[in-house]
Amino acid sequence: MKTKLINSISLCVLLCAPAAGAAESGTLTKNDELKAEPFRDAKTLKVLAAGDKISIVSKEGGWYKIKAGKSSGWMRMLSVRKGDAKKASAATGLLALSSGRAATGKVVATTGVRGLNEEELQAASFNAQELQLAESYSVSKADSKKFAAKGKLVARPFDYLPEPK
Amino acid sequence: MNAKLKWVSLSGLLLIAMNCSAFDLRQSLKDKLNTDVPQINPKLVEAVNVVKEARGPDEEEEIAIGRQISGNLLGAAPLVKDAKLQKYVNQVGEWVASQSERPDLPWHFGVIQSEDVNAFAAPGGYVFVTLGLYRLLQNEADLAGVLGHEIGHVIRKHHLKILQQSQLVDAGGKLLSRQVGGDDKIQNLIGNGAEIVARGLDKDAEFEADRIGVVLATRAGYDAYGLPGVLQQIGHFAKDDGSIALLFKTHPLPDDRLDKLDSAMEDRFDRIKGQTLEKRFYRVKK
Ligand SMILES: [Zn+2]
Repeated sequence: MKTKLINSISLCVLLCAPAAGAAESGTLTKNDELKAEPFRDAKTLKVLAAGDKISIVSKEGGWYKIKAGKSSGWMRMLSVRKGDAKKASAATGLLALSSGRAATGKVVATTGVRGLNEEELQAASFNAQELQLAESYSVSKADSKKFAAKGKLVARPFDYLPEPK
Repeated sequence: MNAKLKWVSLSGLLLIAMNCSAFDLRQSLKDKLNTDVPQINPKLVEAVNVVKEARGPDEEEEIAIGRQISGNLLGAAPLVKDAKLQKYVNQVGEWVASQSERPDLPWHFGVIQSEDVNAFAAPGGYVFVTLGLYRLLQNEADLAGVLGHEIGHVIRKHHLKILQQSQLVDAGGKLLSRQVGGDDKIQNLIGNGAEIVARGLDKDAEFEADRIGVVLATRAGYDAYGLPGVLQQIGHFAKDDGSIALLFKTHPLPDDRLDKLDSAMEDRFDRIKGQTLEKRFYRVKK
């Protein structure tokens, strides 16, 4: 548990280099309990209110480890929405860094990467070679089972979710 | 292969496929008619054809349509030239798709060379993720959730239904579809196919695909919160960012999707543990 946490933090630092140090910000979408551990039955430390600003430290399953003022604990991920008023600039920063784009969001011409807007998709012409290549990577059911077993993935039954009212 | 030529063959293919199956059936029924059951009413034969047409293309036709659409999509954005990456997404994708009610479709997955943040599904089992979206993923459970959403579109035939609707609704289309060969009018009618995957589905189809994505990832043994986590990340983007414009145009906003997932998931996943496999996750070079 503890090592797992440390792992995911160092991973985040690695991946979220642009945001290193500064945890991501978030806002509560509804009143919910701050828990001592990432479980429903864990001790409730405090109830946070919809609209409260928090910072997200790490993620585990459906839970975020968060800081809210002086308290910290675990909050259901789906009670939080990432981001705040600084959304626009933060996103541009992330994008510019991860994709080598200019800050305007335009693709840097030299990369030769084409966009994928509707016009470009409409104008696209059939590429038989690429399609063949794509199909050449397909994986057999037996191989995918081996791959799953290597990752200790165990298939289990789970019903589809009903449409919420 | 020449684009125009190929295009003609799409229209042709589509139309021939549809006409052909009707014809084959008619022929085989006619054969039957001439042999053991001469008393079959020709009107019944016609009715069977109508039912078949209304039910839509069968699986072979569905795959042919998806192939054509995918070839066009790849014409706009080719595959990332990284065989290990492509093999990896096929391994994850095949495993997740195996948990669906259509495990035996010939599933194909790919990462395409575009810094846009988006993913596409075409009928018959074709699923593509942009490199821009792939870069946002942090582990294999995230990938499983994203692929699961697209697999959801395929198994519920969301795009196929739009294709059929546009052909059935348009009276001109029905008339045109009787002419085998294809021409500009038909091209205008169906679009080049890639446009179909760019077109927005209705919101309910998107919410349904989200619910399916979460469940398929869970069935496959992954942490259920991969897809919601990616939606959180995407919701973080500025809405006017060009790289995500098409996704936002064709899908409900991530915050709405998260609200819907929250109400659908409730506490059902509280006791379900799953793997995230961040160590195994294949990372692309910057
Ligand atoms: Zn979708």
